[in-house]
Amino acid sequence: MDNSPKHTTDLVRQGLAKRYRQEARFRRMGMTAIILGLAFVSMLFISIIGNGYSAFWQTYAQLEVHLDASKIDPEGTRDSDVIADADYGGIIKQSLRDMFPDVTGRRDKRTLYRLVSNGASYDLKDFVVANPDRIGTTIQLWVPADDDIDMLMKGHFDRDKPESERRIKDNQIAWVDTFVEQNRIESRFNKTFFTAGDSRDPELAGIWGAATGSFFTLIITLLLAFPLGVATAVYLEEFAPQNKWTDVIEVNINNLAAVPSIVFGLLGLAVFINFIGMPRSAPLVGGMVLTLMTLPTIIIASRAALKSVPPSIREAALGVGASKMQMVFHHVLPLAMPGMLTGTIIGMAQALGESAPLLMIGMVAFIVDIPTGVLDPSTVLPVQIYLWADSPERAFVERTSAAIMVLLAFLIAMNALAVLLRKKFERRW
Amino acid sequence: MSTTALIFTLVLLAGFSFWLGRKRSFAVVNGDAWKLHSLPNYYGYYTAIWCGIPALMITAMWLFFENTIITHLVVVDLPEEIRSLSPDRLNLVVNDIRNLVSGNIVSSDVDPAMRAAADHYIHLQAISQAALTVLVLAIAISGALLALRAIRQEKRARNAVERIVMIFLLASSTIAIFTTLGIVLSVLFEAIRFFETVPLTSFLFGLEWSPQMAIREDQVGSSGAFGAIPLFAGTLLISFIAMLVAVPIGLLSAIYLAEYASKRVRAMAKPLLEILAGIPTVVYGFFAALTVAPFIRDSGGLLGLDVSSESALAAGLVMGIMIIPFVSSLSDDVINAVPQAMRDGSEGLGATKSETIKKVIIPAALPGIVGGILLAVSRAIGETMIVVMAAGLSANLTANPLEAVTTVTVQIVTLLVGDQEFDSPKTLAAFALGLLLFVVTLILNIIALHVVRKYREQYE
Amino acid sequence: MTFQIDSGIDLPGQELGLVSKMPAVENNGKVSRDDRKTVGDITHADPRMTCRDVHVWYGDKHALNDVDLDIGKNEVIAMIGPSGCGKSTFIRCLNRMNDSIDGCRVSGDLIMDGQDIYDRKMDVVLLRAMVGMVFQKPNPFPKSIFENVAYGPRIHGLAAAKTDIEEIVVTSLQKAGLWDEVKDYLDQPGTGLSGGQQQRLCIARAIAVNPEVVLMDEPCSALDPIATARIEELIDELREHYTIAIVTHSMQQAARVSQRTAYFHLGDLIEVGETDQIFTNPKHQLTEDYITGRFG
Repeated sequence: MDNSPKHTTDLVRQGLAKRYRQEARFRRMGMTAIILGLAFVSMLFISIIGNGYSAFWQTYAQLEVHLDASKIDPEGTRDSDVIADADYGGIIKQSLRDMFPDVTGRRDKRTLYRLVSNGASYDLKDFVVANPDRIGTTIQLWVPADDDIDMLMKGHFDRDKPESERRIKDNQIAWVDTFVEQNRIESRFNKTFFTAGDSRDPELAGIWGAATGSFFTLIITLLLAFPLGVATAVYLEEFAPQNKWTDVIEVNINNLAAVPSIVFGLLGLAVFINFIGMPRSAPLVGGMVLTLMTLPTIIIASRAALKSVPPSIREAALGVGASKMQMVFHHVLPLAMPGMLTGTIIGMAQALGESAPLLMIGMVAFIVDIPTGVLDPSTVLPVQIYLWADSPERAFVERTSAAIMVLLAFLIAMNALAVLLRKKFERRW
Repeated sequence: MSTTALIFTLVLLAGFSFWLGRKRSFAVVNGDAWKLHSLPNYYGYYTAIWCGIPALMITAMWLFFENTIITHLVVVDLPEEIRSLSPDRLNLVVNDIRNLVSGNIVSSDVDPAMRAAADHYIHLQAISQAALTVLVLAIAISGALLALRAIRQEKRARNAVERIVMIFLLASSTIAIFTTLGIVLSVLFEAIRFFETVPLTSFLFGLEWSPQMAIREDQVGSSGAFGAIPLFAGTLLISFIAMLVAVPIGLLSAIYLAEYASKRVRAMAKPLLEILAGIPTVVYGFFAALTVAPFIRDSGGLLGLDVSSESALAAGLVMGIMIIPFVSSLSDDVINAVPQAMRDGSEGLGATKSETIKKVIIPAALPGIVGGILLAVSRAIGETMIVVMAAGLSANLTANPLEAVTTVTVQIVTLLVGDQEFDSPKTLAAFALGLLLFVVTLILNIIALHVVRKYREQYE
Repeated sequence: MTFQIDSGIDLPGQELGLVSKMPAVENNGKVSRDDRKTVGDITHADPRMTCRDVHVWYGDKHALNDVDLDIGKNEVIAMIGPSGCGKSTFIRCLNRMNDSIDGCRVSGDLIMDGQDIYDRKMDVVLLRAMVGMVFQKPNPFPKSIFENVAYGPRIHGLAAAKTDIEEIVVTSLQKAGLWDEVKDYLDQPGTGLSGGQQQRLCIARAIAVNPEVVLMDEPCSALDPIATARIEELIDELREHYTIAIVTHSMQQAARVSQRTAYFHLGDLIEVGETDQIFTNPKHQLTEDYITGRFG
């Protein structure tokens, strides 16, 4: 064969166009992958925010309520117990009937009552208990509208569809329009969403209960996982002899990091609840399960942090006569602390977003009360999202998305904190 | 005293004894701290440890056994006809008593025997709590006193404290082992009990899964079928779809960012893609159920295809999106581990960038990439929330991604959530599935970690 | 021309007090250390590559300052000089390996076969097929010995049939003097060879593409003396077919293998000449200082 350089360059030149086409094609594939990935991120956020932002507002309706003394406090005692016992639901219904006197049928009446939330009677009660001097007068009271009305006002129901295909009926729309004409309807910031516990009524449901549950669960996780994780890392990095036993521990930690989270839930159910007999649905158990789950993350990060402390520091400390323990606790640990904290925050963020193992230990119950301690039955934010996502009401879709936004905000804040911590204390030796 | 208050008191006592111990160490050397063997603080720690640790351990032990013992005592005092019930029924009775105690049952018509038992229970609880308080406080105070008496000039307090700290460090490091052990034992025991009723072979090779057991014997379909093949098939189908999405996108984007992208693009795109890794799985599940599944069903409808609203495609697609950052960050690691000299060698010969990547870098990084993909598969198999929210419940044995399938994790959740009865084959089946899941992911992880480690050593 | 002290480059001469005002010609007849114009004949009767006014910047760092040099056909030209003097930078310009370094800029004329290699029309792939490169550390691909050598011909499409590839591999390995050692292990990984064998494999890989010029960037710095001697012999044999530009730290090596030598100092090309002349009678004070071991 011809081996002259001239021949070679000719051959290379012949193939060039095709090779550059391949190059361009490969590059385009890479670019497409990035764009697809970014498109998924934006689709996710657009879908969540688009569905959820409206949940931060809630439609309120103004009712003209006559505080009939004979119904609230017939004997005029003005005793708060007596006042609190009155039938406020009835009063609200009366005021709706007064507003639309031509509604007569039983069915229609019931539909009419559903214009405002079940929570309206509680609002009214609170008002009257706080202002007993207003009994006997007529007041203008803003109460939350029912979730269907809320959805109608937010434009989630199509008025143009035939009545049979709508959740909301023609007469309801007519009543709402009356409210609108009289300026008796307005959209307000949805405080309930941030202050209430769970509820069957979307307009009364809030994330505070789940957030509190998450808080208690995370506190337990932090209190257990941080010291245990750091202690394990310190032992393995600074004290452990190089032997089989240490190897076994290390292999175990690496494997635990990749065990599906639901398996930790099975462990929690079988050991903590059935064997030890701890209460179901308690943040204490949830925290313990999440501790086991996040420990590997914290241990691996803490070990990396310890490794990055140069040996010269250790030698310097030992050289001035510190014991090995003093060397670790006075010199190495403080220098490794930012890295350990970063790892811990990331582990906590993981724990905050986790739900599967908590389903196993019963933190999936419908819980209205705000938990007050680590033994109270509670749920957590991601499980609350799961529960709401299962609810059929249209208003819960909105609230689920809003709850996701809150959860993501927390997660982003935690990760930002971790990044900040890393940036601030990043040290090049 | 309530347990919380008791622990709080213990902490206060320990703090106080720290102060006492420190003070005492000064006293024994008449204020010349340098004469002491250890720094004064170590005498404080020493005293505090003797005050707090034994007392705390006793408290933990007490709380651990308290329930069992009290229950036993209550059961012994129950009327004869209740005690002679079968263990299962007896458990129910005990549960009722406990519910009475915690005030969960407020109905008026309670059996007087039960009422009495509950009162007995409450009484025993009160006694136990009082005994615990007295015992623990006595132990704490005497521990502190003993430690205080032991403080002398030549007392090696630092060594004693360091030994205890060392024990704590060592004990912490064993938690990983106990966790693994706990997982294995908890799923293994229940799984063995399950295999006593359902043979292992019919579980592993059975083609039908319908765990709906009848409550009464005479109901139709009381046997239930526990063939796990449809679950494996569903799990694999969804995982396969997920990998089809995640591997090309994750790998190609890692390659593009590492080899082609300018610094600015990399600094922007990388964190944005990593956001996907931080999003909780429940959010993906909601996204799949709310947005992706209806979208796929509707677009399938336009093409004249009959797509289930819980199609495997939707769940797999979203799971793939979740796994993208996982694949891409692992690939990024292994691609960056390929030395620059390889790139120089190839480009010095006149290879284009893509030729270098395809013919040198990827073959060199292949073991690492394969390891990463195995880890990703293990993650897809164990993923729960996305499939619980977006995949179906019915166990179809199909390879059609447009139909609904169910997975191992979905069945574990459905079998265990809300179910209080612990002994039925239905609940035990969940543990058998859990065992299976654990074993499969464990094997995948061990292989993957091994491959990745071997690969790293190659370039170190 | 005045010398600009560049803060980015370490200045061994400065520490020794070598950079100071001195007369243009020293009392021993050498060109003074201050004068940075190239001394000696930069041209070659039959040039393969012609470089004029070549400057290289890494970001703000002026790494190569106004270099003029011809590289002749079928000659071995050695680049010597202290670390950071720009000799590696220079030969990496010759097949544009600097392209992949962020912030690297090259100006001036580098002509090969009448074409500027930094011209927009010049194809890097083609250029690198003509100008091969061997690196400091042996870098065989994690593939078999056969595949390592076959890599270049395959990507460039130099051989249509399988037998052609085999022929190229065999001749390249023979030219690189590796054939007898590896002919029975062609399917074994190239990374399993010894350091010297790996480097000869890399040379075989480079010449399998049949380049006109082979650039060698300190090819023996990672090898032991015996392996080094083997490579040096090989370089001498290869001269018959190829032009070779070699960067080396070892003056003895330069003296042994090259016909011409170029001495670089802190980004300047100080002196070019016949190797014998450079090592026996350098004309520049800095060259003399370097080859007599005053610094470097």
